[in-house]
Amino acid sequence: MRSVDVVIVGASLAAAAAAKRLVDAGLETIVLERKELPRHKICSGILSPRGHRFLLENFGPLPRETLHEPTSCRGVTFHFPSMVSMPMDFFGGSTPHLHRKYSDHWAIQRSGAEVHDQTSFAGLEDKGDHVLVHARQNGEPVEYRARQVIGADGPSSLVVRAVYPDYTKQIPWFFVGQKFHEIIECPLDTDYFHFWFHPGLGHYTWSHARDGRQIVGVGFKRGDNFAKKHAVVQQYLQDRHGVHLQPAGDDDEGCAENFGPSLINRYVFGKGNVLVTGQAAGFLNMIGEGMSCALHSGAISGEAIVEARLRNRPVQEMYRRMIASEVRRCTDQWNPVKIALDKPHEADFPEALMALSWRDRAKVLRDMWRFIVLFKEFKWGRQMARAALQRPLLGGYSMQRWL
Amino acid sequence: MAGYYSPLTSTRTLLLKIPPVEPGTVGPCPVAPDALQGIKRQQTNPARWNGAGWQDFVAALRTSSVELAEGAAACGVYATDAGGTAYGLPHGVVLARSAGQISLLLKAAQAHRVPVTVRGGGLTTEGESVAFGGVLLDMSGMSRVLNVDAQALTVRAEAGIYWHALAEELRRENLDYLSAPLNLTSSVGGTLGVGGIDVNSARLGCSADQALSLQVVTPTGEIVECSDGENPELFQRVILGYGQFGIITEATLRVRPYTPLAMHYYYYSSLRTAIEDLQMLDRNDASDYSGILTIMDCAVNLLVAFDSDEREAAFRKNWESRLRGYGEFGFALCMAGHYALRPWKFREALYLLQRKREVFPEFRRPEYMREGKMHDRSVVFSRAVWKHWGSRQMVIPDLATSADKFIEAVERGNAVCRKYFVHYTLYCVGIKLRPDHQPHYEMSCVPPDAEGWAYGCEFEPMIEGGIYSRDHFQSFKNAIYDVGVDMGASYYRFGGMMKGYIRRVFGDALVDRHLAMKRRADPAMILNRDVIF
Repeated sequence: MRSVDVVIVGASLAAAAAAKRLVDAGLETIVLERKELPRHKICSGILSPRGHRFLLENFGPLPRETLHEPTSCRGVTFHFPSMVSMPMDFFGGSTPHLHRKYSDHWAIQRSGAEVHDQTSFAGLEDKGDHVLVHARQNGEPVEYRARQVIGADGPSSLVVRAVYPDYTKQIPWFFVGQKFHEIIECPLDTDYFHFWFHPGLGHYTWSHARDGRQIVGVGFKRGDNFAKKHAVVQQYLQDRHGVHLQPAGDDDEGCAENFGPSLINRYVFGKGNVLVTGQAAGFLNMIGEGMSCALHSGAISGEAIVEARLRNRPVQEMYRRMIASEVRRCTDQWNPVKIALDKPHEADFPEALMALSWRDRAKVLRDMWRFIVLFKEFKWGRQMARAALQRPLLGGYSMQRWL
Repeated sequence: MAGYYSPLTSTRTLLLKIPPVEPGTVGPCPVAPDALQGIKRQQTNPARWNGAGWQDFVAALRTSSVELAEGAAACGVYATDAGGTAYGLPHGVVLARSAGQISLLLKAAQAHRVPVTVRGGGLTTEGESVAFGGVLLDMSGMSRVLNVDAQALTVRAEAGIYWHALAEELRRENLDYLSAPLNLTSSVGGTLGVGGIDVNSARLGCSADQALSLQVVTPTGEIVECSDGENPELFQRVILGYGQFGIITEATLRVRPYTPLAMHYYYYSSLRTAIEDLQMLDRNDASDYSGILTIMDCAVNLLVAFDSDEREAAFRKNWESRLRGYGEFGFALCMAGHYALRPWKFREALYLLQRKREVFPEFRRPEYMREGKMHDRSVVFSRAVWKHWGSRQMVIPDLATSADKFIEAVERGNAVCRKYFVHYTLYCVGIKLRPDHQPHYEMSCVPPDAEGWAYGCEFEPMIEGGIYSRDHFQSFKNAIYDVGVDMGASYYRFGGMMKGYIRRVFGDALVDRHLAMKRRADPAMILNRDVIF
């Protein structure tokens, strides 16, 4: 059995960030990855400028191989059923359009950690002063003994399931799927990520250009039919925006997503010597960008382990106190008071709204309200209102609600 | 077959070819020209050195009988610096014994391309004295005073000595150093490498300007004596050189007769007025010591002090009436009125009262006061600073500007502090510049447009037992430093993880010129390589 300081489950960006902090501090760190590296990852790849800066500061300039074509994205365009469109540029210029297969591989290599790929996490036992991690490598069971474990294995996290078996039943699940189309004609600006606030299209509808093709993506409650939802969106784009696309290629893809925890401040940070980070912990920026908060929360989980050792404090306590800043930043993005009065996002929504005529502003607000009503069934409203009230009173969000 | 690979032992061909990033290089940007506007494509949190060739290096040291400590216990002591946000572990530690030993170490390091990080008191805040692998050279082993010349008013000391230890030795001869950081464990060598600011810097300049000559071990291992007259180019580069061009092993410093000081405090409710008064005093050489320390941005303390009764009398006669600050009692009345009208700010008022009760007596401790004068200011100030401001983490971003830009810089920095922390302290002080040392100031904390004086302000959050992520501190520091980019300022702490700002404030041409000099002086780029370039 291999005995190390820290085992990180998942070879994502969150894992790379955590590994970077741990390796720098001289801790022996192993990263376990289920697939063979470099591995494919479903993602829009549109990283926020904050995330770009983090990558640059910690891993160096991005090599060209880690980017799709177009290599950058200038901002986000919101589209509304009333046919008002609002383009918004990111603060600080364009952002990278990451090719997750290679960007994640690059980051994990730059972190300096030892990586065991094709090794799937199978369970853990927290023994108090160490954790036994069970995994399978080519079907063969392997074991690791680590002082701490970081779960950075995405929304359907096996580490979370190992620590909180009931968690997956407690939150609503969504499915996002994307199809790739050859373009006949597409008037949508290739410099922007396009998002539709349209209750008829689904909970999460987007489109952007990638490597000469157009991505049409849909998000919906688990259980709905991907093909049908997608067809509705493709038809809508054709009818209303003049987007003519070939039938989708056969490389469509989808995955389960945990929208919600960051809206209502219901993160899951682990237990005992097991820390959970990135999207597994529930971090997701508005417009579904999870990479920048995965990078930052991942780094904080690594930092917390180092700090806990040096201060001789429980690692959970350290992590939870340190992660508060990232929770504030991420949940602020969903906080209606913050959106109205502050600038929690990396693009200026209020400014873009004020650039519209009075009539259009009213239309946009009406359409947004209708879109939000779509989420009514999850009963998040009261929890979000409570979080919004807490923010100015406590200077942050309550730690009591975290798992 | 499953793959195991680590940076050292790659057992599999990787699909992605990642070229190694040479220290000092700034990469191209394949994303877009306007991405991260103005921010250079440069990794600022260094990658841990991978340990290639370490065993050969250790063997080479052993044959030249340089003692090296390895293992977690020996290295763990150096895991972080005063900033407490960067963590790194060296592969081994060498305790400095002599210039000869350091020379052997550097020669071996140069041959085996092993990075060497030098540490004095470890009071850096951005990880400059943290080793991300390689050797850590602890200079505190070289801490003797070699010679005190009471006639010529100079002292020769080994560079690892802490200023307060030097002060102790000098006091036996009734002498004192000119100016030194208000910090008990800052070393002479480290200070000369970065500046060193004291409350008398507005009159006597920064500590680096009091060095008359230095013994330096160059990155290739030569032991060289340098001064304004001897090897002046090396002298210019080593002074305020952030440890890039050599390790200072001995220094000859100017000293002066020891005097206790008479302190005066004036209180302001406006930063702007206080700074205007500070600059007025400095311009007119009205005091021997001057500085601003705030409790809050509406409770600002201007401290003024004198070495002699004559100077104090002249100040009282000519300048005191021009100051717009209040005395302690007057200010208390003023604040009482202020908060009586704003009862909802009662918490602020309580904080002020609490700070007053805790901090003020600290500057009047009977063991350091005799006949109303303060003795051993370095001890008094350092003690107070660490007890009431410092904590396990010293996070002190700063802005250094020319005199005329200073007020705006402080006000903008203050607005940033407000956004990030409930309580914080500002510390402002002037630095008299020596026109003949202009070449020393190139690419240093002294901004290029400063004439006569440069002014610096430190923005120090009160951490008060709080635990913040490195991220939170980093975005706070970035927000402060962005003000500097915007205003064409410089910084005292621009090394380490803040080095991304160096090219932004000084421009590529100047930095590349220094980088070329660094490459000539240190071909393997081993000495403090992650600090500046």
